[in-house]
Amino acid sequence: TGGYHKCYFLNQVLPSCCLRQVRSYHVDWRMLRDVKRRKMAYEYADERLRINAIRKNSILPKELQEVADKEIAALPRDSCPVRIRNRCVLTSRPRGVKRRWRLSRIVFRHFADHAQMSGVQRAMW
Amino acid sequence: TSSVLSKDRDKSAASKDSTPEGAAKRQEDGAETPKQQLLDIIGSMKVEVSYRKKLQQLKASENKKQAQDKLEGPDSEGSVPQGITEDTQGGRPLNPELVKAASAVASSLPRNKKQTESELLAQLRRHEETTDKQRKGGPVNIRNVISEMTVKRRSPAPWAVRKSGRISLQLDEDGQRIRPERSSAQAMDSRRYFCCFSFFVYRSLKVGKRLNIFTKASTEPEHALKTESSPTIWDLEFAKEVAAVTAQPPRNGFEEMIQWTKEGILWEFPIDNEVGMEDDAEFHEHIFLEKHLEGFPKEGPIRHFMELVICGLSKNPYLSVKQKVDHIEWFQKYFEEKKELLQEI
Repeated sequence: TGGYHKCYFLNQVLPSCCLRQVRSYHVDWRMLRDVKRRKMAYEYADERLRINAIRKNSILPKELQEVADKEIAALPRDSCPVRIRNRCVLTSRPRGVKRRWRLSRIVFRHFADHAQMSGVQRAMW
Repeated sequence: TSSVLSKDRDKSAASKDSTPEGAAKRQEDGAETPKQQLLDIIGSMKVEVSYRKKLQQLKASENKKQAQDKLEGPDSEGSVPQGITEDTQGGRPLNPELVKAASAVASSLPRNKKQTESELLAQLRRHEETTDKQRKGGPVNIRNVISEMTVKRRSPAPWAVRKSGRISLQLDEDGQRIRPERSSAQAMDSRRYFCCFSFFVYRSLKVGKRLNIFTKASTEPEHALKTESSPTIWDLEFAKEVAAVTAQPPRNGFEEMIQWTKEGILWEFPIDNEVGMEDDAEFHEHIFLEKHLEGFPKEGPIRHFMELVICGLSKNPYLSVKQKVDHIEWFQKYFEEKKELLQEI
C-alpha cells in the first residue's frame, strides 16, 4: 500500500449535538505511527506470547527453540510491544508524560491551573 | 353470568341456595310461574349479610330472566339450564373434597337433601366447565365483563360521593350503575377506568377475573416485518438521521451522564465487576483441562511442557474457557507442523 493515510485511523465522529471538543485527526504523523504500532501489537500479542513460551523454556529441545527464535524474528517489526511509546495524547510529546493522565507535563499544568483536572490541586506543605 | 358470579364469591352455602333450588324448581315444576319461584326463593332464604341478600336478589332476577327465556325459546342464556342437564348426564370427575362439602351442605338444608346435593354437584360441574372454557381462552365479550363489573361493585354511599367529587360521574346510592353522560364508548372507558381505580385502591390486585386487555403484543406484526429483507442501507441511514435530529443536547447534568453511560464513557452503577465477561462455563471446565491434551504424545518433553501450560491456564482467572482451549489448540497445531523436525531429534 503506497499511501497510508490517516483516513484508516480516523477517530470516530460523534453526533452533532455533542458539545465536547473533538479532534478528528492525530496531532502529527508520529502519533499516527504509534497508533498503528499499538494496533499491530494487539493483533499479534497472543502469538508472540506463545512463541516466547516455547523459547524461554528449559524442557523443550534447543533445536525447537532456535526454530521459534527465527519465527518470532520473522513477524512484522511493528508487532512488538517494545516499540510503543506513551506519547502525550494532546500534543504527542514523547517525553515528560504522566502515565495516569496520558498528558505531557505542560498540558497537565495548563489544565490543572485552570481547574479542569478533577482532584488536582497545587501542592503546598 | 350467574355461574360466573357465584364462582367468584366464596363457595358458600348461602350463595348456592337460590340457584340449585331455582333450577330444581324449574326442572320439576314447569307449570309454576317464575314469579312464584322467585317468591319461594326469597321466602326460603336464611339470615344473611346485606350484600349477600342483594346478590341473591340479582341472581333470582337473572334466574327469572333465564326461566322466561327458556319458556319463550332457546336463547344464549337459556343454554345455562340446558348445560345442567348435560353435565348431570356427562358425569365429569369432580374433586372428592368438593363432593363431600356439597353433601355436607345439602344435609344442613331443610329441603329435599338428595335433590339439593345433585343440584350442588351440577353447579360445581358447571363452574369447572366455565373455568376450562376460560383457560382455553374463549371469546371475551367485554360488554358482559364490564356490565358484570358494575354489578359486582358494592360501594357505600360516602365512598361514592367522595369519588364523584374527583371524577365527574354520577353514581346511584348503592353504586350499582353509572349514568353515562358521554357517548357509549367513552362511558364504557370511564366505567372501566373507574372500576379499575376502585379495585386498585380498595381491593387486592388479584381479585377478579382477568380481562386480558393488556396482553403481550402479538408476534404477528413482527413476523410480517421479518419476512422483508434485512434493513437496507437507506433504512439505516434514515434511522441515523432521525436519531441525530431528535437527539437534543442535554439539558442538565443528569441527561449528560445518561448520554455518557449510553456511549460507554461512564460505567453503570451499581458497578458490576463482570460487565462484558459472560462466561457461563463451570469451574471444572476452567481447571480440569487434561481432556484437551489428547492430541499430544503421552511421554516426552512436549507432554511435560504442555502439562505446565495447563497448570498455568488453570490458575488464570482472566481468560475464558474458549481462549484457553484456543491456546492449547495453537500449540497442538504448532507441534504438528514441527513433527518432521522433532523426528530427527
